[in-house]
Amino acid sequence: MISQELKKVILTELNLDDFDLQDETMAPEVPGWDSLNHINIILAVEKSFNVKFKSYEVLRLKNVGDLQKLVDLKTGK
Amino acid sequence: MFSSISLEKIFSLLKYDPNDPLIFSTSLFLILFLGFLIFYNLLGKNKAARIFLLIFFSLYFYYKAAGLYFLILVVSAVANFYAGKLIATTENFTKKRIFLIVALIVNIGLLGYFKYTNFILQIIADISKHNIDPLSIFLPIGISFYTFKSLTYVFDIYYDTLKPTNSLRDFSLYIFFFPNILLGPIDRAADFLPQIDHEPFISREDIGRALFLIMLGLIKKVVIADYISLNFVDRIFDFPLRFTGVENLLAIYAYVLQIYCDFSGYSDMAIGIALLLGFKLMDNFNYPFKATSIADFWRRWHISLSNWLKDYLFKPIQISSRRLKIFGNVIALIVTFFVCGLWHGAGWNFILWGVFHGVLMSISLFFKKPKEKLYKFLRINNTRFLRFFQIVITFHFIAFSFLLFRFSDLQIAKDMLSQIFDFFHAEVFLQFAEKLPLILGLIVIGYLFHFLPSRLGIWLQKIITAMPLPVKILIFVIAIWIVAQFKTADIQPFIYFQF
Repeated sequence: MISQELKKVILTELNLDDFDLQDETMAPEVPGWDSLNHINIILAVEKSFNVKFKSYEVLRLKNVGDLQKLVDLKTGK
Repeated sequence: MFSSISLEKIFSLLKYDPNDPLIFSTSLFLILFLGFLIFYNLLGKNKAARIFLLIFFSLYFYYKAAGLYFLILVVSAVANFYAGKLIATTENFTKKRIFLIVALIVNIGLLGYFKYTNFILQIIADISKHNIDPLSIFLPIGISFYTFKSLTYVFDIYYDTLKPTNSLRDFSLYIFFFPNILLGPIDRAADFLPQIDHEPFISREDIGRALFLIMLGLIKKVVIADYISLNFVDRIFDFPLRFTGVENLLAIYAYVLQIYCDFSGYSDMAIGIALLLGFKLMDNFNYPFKATSIADFWRRWHISLSNWLKDYLFKPIQISSRRLKIFGNVIALIVTFFVCGLWHGAGWNFILWGVFHGVLMSISLFFKKPKEKLYKFLRINNTRFLRFFQIVITFHFIAFSFLLFRFSDLQIAKDMLSQIFDFFHAEVFLQFAEKLPLILGLIVIGYLFHFLPSRLGIWLQKIITAMPLPVKILIFVIAIWIVAQFKTADIQPFIYFQF
């Protein structure tokens, strides 16, 4: 389940009003979330949740659900 | 006497010949493949025997192209299989990383030795101003493709997105698999390995799609690419100053089409042949000249390589340099496209071509927001007009980049451009159309088919799938016959060039 907070960060960064982000949603399915923009989304998530990811942790993410799990792990949820 | 001579001839035909690999568009391949396919299907239910037959045929296919160097494949399969196992079973992250680095050194080391040693020696000679004789190193065909293919396995295991296989046999099949060993697609282990256990291994739709792709590939490769290169492109490119600008421009358009038809045609055949064996390989081209930007082009051109570079090179650099924000992207782009160029060949022209793409994409990063604002201001965003304009501009950047790709001597590219800008002579086009209607027709058909809606291809596939088997075979034989006509046709006399 994607939290409202994470959803908001991603949608704001992508300039999207709304998009149905599910656990299994993958980046290319979301308008504007291409490999070049990926860097901005990761930075925005790190800043907003005040966490730091390791490169390895980011590279193995397959979908938004994995990103949520990583955020939860880092914020101790 | 007669039989001993024929046997000898057959034997020499089947032996390794560095100048005669088993390219899909040769009649020898067609005959051998048909024989192999019959046995492969006869073994239908006996999966183990079928896989061993496929492994054996694949090794032979590579032996025919590279002789004893087929042993590199065996070394690569064993080394990467055990590297995968080690990486997966190691808990300690530092050790995991060390095993990955060792695997990279072995794989890239082999590739580097065979492909780049002499290039590096030449650079050292140029810098030190001493003469260094090049070493006599054999370049095993396809090594760039299967090295990258093997690396997907170790990378994915390292990132924990793939579990290693327990079967050295299955992994060897992935590495040796002949349809994509010489020219890709660079298929992922994660996609290929699970397919080995699929039953039934082939459906009616697969056969229809396979025949469509093989015919399409043959026509692209032999009828369009080989024919226009031999009879038109090469002749202009050899002496551009002897021709007008309009001819030079047409030759560049024809060359762009030639590269596309040559490479994507071979990929189509590889995907089609793999389908007949029960394996789905990844798509490699998606109407690349419909791209509206260079970034879009790379989502459509040689997709298996661009995805590989994106996942295993671009992203790691981008993520580790993300604090530099947009400059992190720029560094990642330039390095990735430098490697992309170098991957294509050991020459400065390839590096220049790659870096040119990297620089173009980096520049467009900085213009992204102003561009969007301008389009909104002009009220042309998301319009057909803008799309058309973007496609035309992108196409010409790509065409120019292929000139860099083709010529190690930049003077030739410069000559062509100076002819186009200073000596155009549009009226010569009519002479060209009159004297070389077949060449012009092939160029027009090639581009037309490319720019028509992609539904057309799907529709043709469905029609072929729905046909009864005898009709399918008949159509296939007709396609082969047409291809054979073009293959055996004499080089077209260039009367027109006497002017």
